Amino acid sequence: MSRKARPPVPPRLRLAALVQALAALIWVPQAWLLAGAVFCLAGSDPQPAQAMQLAMVFAGLGLLRSALDAGGGRLAFRAARGELSRLRAEAVAALGARSPLDPTLPPSGEVAALLAEQAEAVVPYLQRYVPVRWRLMLVPAVILPVVAWHSWVAALILMVAAPLIPLFMALIGIRAKKASEDQLAAVGSMNGLLMDRLRGLSTIRALKAEERVADRIGTLAADVKRRTMAVLRIAFLSSAVLELFSALGVALVAIYVGFTLLGQIDFGTWGQQLGLADGLFILLLAPAFFEPLRELSAVWHDRATGEAALRALSGLSGGAVAAQRTLDPPADGSVLRLDGVGFAYPGAAPVVTGIDLVLKQGEKVALFGPSGGGKSTLLALAAGLLHPDRGTVARAGTVGWIGHLPFMMNASLSANVTLGRPGLAAAPLLERLLPGHDPARRVGEGGVGLSGGETLRLALARAIADPGATLILADEPTAHLDAGTAADVIEALLDAAQGRALLVATHDPRLAARMDRVVGVGA
Amino acid sequence: MSGHLLALFGLFRQAAGWKLGLGLLMAGITALAGVALLGLSGWFITATGLAGLSAGAVLVFDTFRSDAGVRGLAILRPGARYAERLVTHDATLAVIAGLRVRLFRALARPGLGRTLVQRPGRLLFRITGDLDNLDTLYLRLLVPVSALILLSLAGMGALALLAGWAGLLPGLFLLLTGLVMLFLGGRGGLAAGARRAASLEALRLRLLDLVAGRVDWRLAGRQAQMSHLALSAEVRLTQADDQLNRLDSRLTLGQGLAGTALLSGGVMLCAALVERDLLDGPAVALFMLILLGLLEPLAGLRRGAVELGRSLRAVRRVGDTLSAPVTHDRADAATRDVVLSQIRFRHEDAPAALFDGLTLSIAAGQHVAVIGDSGAGKSSLIALLTGEMQPSAGTMTLPAWALLGQQAALFQDNVRANLLLADPTAGDSQLWAALEQAGLAAVVREMPDGLDSPLGEGGTGLSSGQRRRLALARFLLQDKPLWLLDEVTDGIDLSVATLILTKIKASGAGRTILLITHLRREADLADRIIRLSRGRVVLDVTRGDPVFEETLSTLRAD
Repeated sequence: MSRKARPPVPPRLRLAALVQALAALIWVPQAWLLAGAVFCLAGSDPQPAQAMQLAMVFAGLGLLRSALDAGGGRLAFRAARGELSRLRAEAVAALGARSPLDPTLPPSGEVAALLAEQAEAVVPYLQRYVPVRWRLMLVPAVILPVVAWHSWVAALILMVAAPLIPLFMALIGIRAKKASEDQLAAVGSMNGLLMDRLRGLSTIRALKAEERVADRIGTLAADVKRRTMAVLRIAFLSSAVLELFSALGVALVAIYVGFTLLGQIDFGTWGQQLGLADGLFILLLAPAFFEPLRELSAVWHDRATGEAALRALSGLSGGAVAAQRTLDPPADGSVLRLDGVGFAYPGAAPVVTGIDLVLKQGEKVALFGPSGGGKSTLLALAAGLLHPDRGTVARAGTVGWIGHLPFMMNASLSANVTLGRPGLAAAPLLERLLPGHDPARRVGEGGVGLSGGETLRLALARAIADPGATLILADEPTAHLDAGTAADVIEALLDAAQGRALLVATHDPRLAARMDRVVGVGA
Repeated sequence: MSGHLLALFGLFRQAAGWKLGLGLLMAGITALAGVALLGLSGWFITATGLAGLSAGAVLVFDTFRSDAGVRGLAILRPGARYAERLVTHDATLAVIAGLRVRLFRALARPGLGRTLVQRPGRLLFRITGDLDNLDTLYLRLLVPVSALILLSLAGMGALALLAGWAGLLPGLFLLLTGLVMLFLGGRGGLAAGARRAASLEALRLRLLDLVAGRVDWRLAGRQAQMSHLALSAEVRLTQADDQLNRLDSRLTLGQGLAGTALLSGGVMLCAALVERDLLDGPAVALFMLILLGLLEPLAGLRRGAVELGRSLRAVRRVGDTLSAPVTHDRADAATRDVVLSQIRFRHEDAPAALFDGLTLSIAAGQHVAVIGDSGAGKSSLIALLTGEMQPSAGTMTLPAWALLGQQAALFQDNVRANLLLADPTAGDSQLWAALEQAGLAAVVREMPDGLDSPLGEGGTGLSSGQRRRLALARFLLQDKPLWLLDEVTDGIDLSVATLILTKIKASGAGRTILLITHLRREADLADRIIRLSRGRVVLDVTRGDPVFEETLSTLRAD
């Protein structure tokens, strides 16, 4: 078992675990009452009235036990769920603190899946695994002395059987832990297999290979099933060992108590005569002694997935690259001023060195050069998305941004223009840049349904929607466009940028030719 | 709904057959062995206790057999449990595998496939979630329910033997408890489960927007608001979770109370029976310990009951998908010409028709480049030809075709399987020849397992240029008279593009080729250029015409 630092247990969860352990311990007096009631009825001189009284007290305790169990479960859930909310909020805040261009940030789909689905595993881990760990410490520690008080031999049987369980489980468990993790991955891959084929469905349909792929999924899934069963067998073996020892423990206690009562065994009871009620009491306690161990094996998975989720979540904070918080306006009244700016991503060679650049209002400048030359990095520095290692960046007003692959969300056209900024009207802009389109028309996931030209025009509308945007930054706006569309987009860009400063990164000579100035980068 | 449920159980039975029944039986035996162990132990102790008390009396009590029985049951129970888990999980995995194949077949039908292309993220997540919820239908619901029923019946029999008709009461009480739990769980869980699923989906989509658009949010000064919006979905998710947990804890409370009622009621019943001399000493202990054992399946049933709502929802949605109407693909024409006549087509959300009477014919062996600005209808033309989209009017005849698109997908499988998709009968020599043509043979030969080397999801493990070349090799394996080429070299390096175009030129002689493009290097393959504008043919020239060269020169160079 690894000794990795566990996350601290929230205090509310500790209280919940305590309440649930208390509920489990109420079984001790309940067992005593039940044994007493059976004794009252089973003896040679039955006393039904007394048994009835004991049953009433038993019911009262049962009420208390059920209430504590359910209440403790509620408390545990709320503590665990609260912790998940806190972790999500923290992760979202941490994402906000990182530079949006941090290259160490995983793909956005992965981040969303981690924060939404995978993070859910934290709840069962905290809600179930942590209280079970507490019960494992408390319940046997209380039951054992109670049993020992009546018979040290019965206690010894339990004491021997209990540590043997972890011993045997550890023998199998080294493989079992890995097995359970493998199994998780394998079951995941059964889903992954289907998703992988569904994502490429149009290719499969074009190849007219639907039937063949269906058969192949069947074959591969059967293979995944075989591998999963192989590892499950090991996992089940370890819990079978646990069950065997707990069942043997109960059986041995029963047999010992039986033969003691018969008088064929006369040791282990501190010289006292073991009564029928005592014997039944011990028998009823024996399964409760092993119960937490069984619960532990049931929540073993929760621990593996929960701890994995916690690790992944903590990996989201930090990040290697910081964003620049605010930019000061240039002293000379220009819109953008870069003085001796240098930048390198951590652990990589500098992308930008010693750049000086001044843009005045209304000025149009192209950063021209091959891909990988640092054009996009310069735009990011001008936008304040990256903090320069050397030199200073000064800028007046806000920025209108047209990214390399403009972000489009599954919302209306006008929502994609305003991005929820208050006081902005999208309709006139859409009328100008995308005439004939209904502003309420929905854009598909990731921009599905928009052509390349439409996407750029929409991004352009978004960039100039803010009247305070003094500078338009555009990253390769005409890459991926055919000549006619590219020419259209260039006109629209120039038209929209009127009165503002415009800085484009491009390797399209036709776009560069329309600028006031061309700055060679990285060539 | 009940129809879906029956259909699904039919699928379950088909996938796992007798194993499902065996699993249920093993679950019952496991529970019975548990009860028998407790009951026999209690009876043993009580009998010995009474025998010990009346020392010297005739020993009617067979200690040896009881002792052996207790030990035997102690071994039988874990053994049965182990077997039960193996059988039930084996059956479940068979069902999972079978369901995925079924679902793929259903989604591969033309109609549903289009929905998938429009909203991939949301639909794929729903499908995975639903499948996972269906997995639990057998393990979490059917297995504990059948254990409960078997145990209740066995308990009724055993207790009736001990105590006569009164012995039927605990079993009936247990069955009723199980029924009420299922009812409450199903009723409460359905609405809360739906709310939970919707909130989780909203949370994921908003997080995706937050992260994918982080640059735009930051620069628009909307990052804090978007974070807040995502976290407001989290608040709703918390509320739905809380509702489900309240249900769970109510059922926990009910389970505890039912257990308490059963045991204390059992003592009272025994007291009444003992008073009337209908029950003797050891039988009281046996009676009470059997009751204790009967409570075991309730815990499992509770978990299943809480998830019942979720499972039913999944049954409905997967059932809907599986039973969606079948539409058939168009048959290939015997003719070698491509003829489109009076085609009318409108995109679902577009105000006007894109094609309104489009007519076009391409003679066998002709190489045609279709050009036009974005939105002119180039991609829609390909989608109509491949049958991905259906025209609302007009006729279309075309021979068997092969498509090479910029989005050609590779799959998580080995290289061979990816190639065999094109032609399942191809032998290794043909596969190598195709790889050779695509300039990828050397790369595959370098791989540790050659053709059997595995590729990751979407073909990871290859560079993007290598992926395009593997797609080309797969394309070349298809021997079809008509080639449809969809911007085949868009966004790739000149060297790979040149290689791909050279191969197409070499192998395309004698075939009909229709390619859509905005690049000069691709259009250069053609001997006829058609320009589309807003769904109409505005230019149709063949090589030799001065306009042809002129048109070529307006296209984008590398």
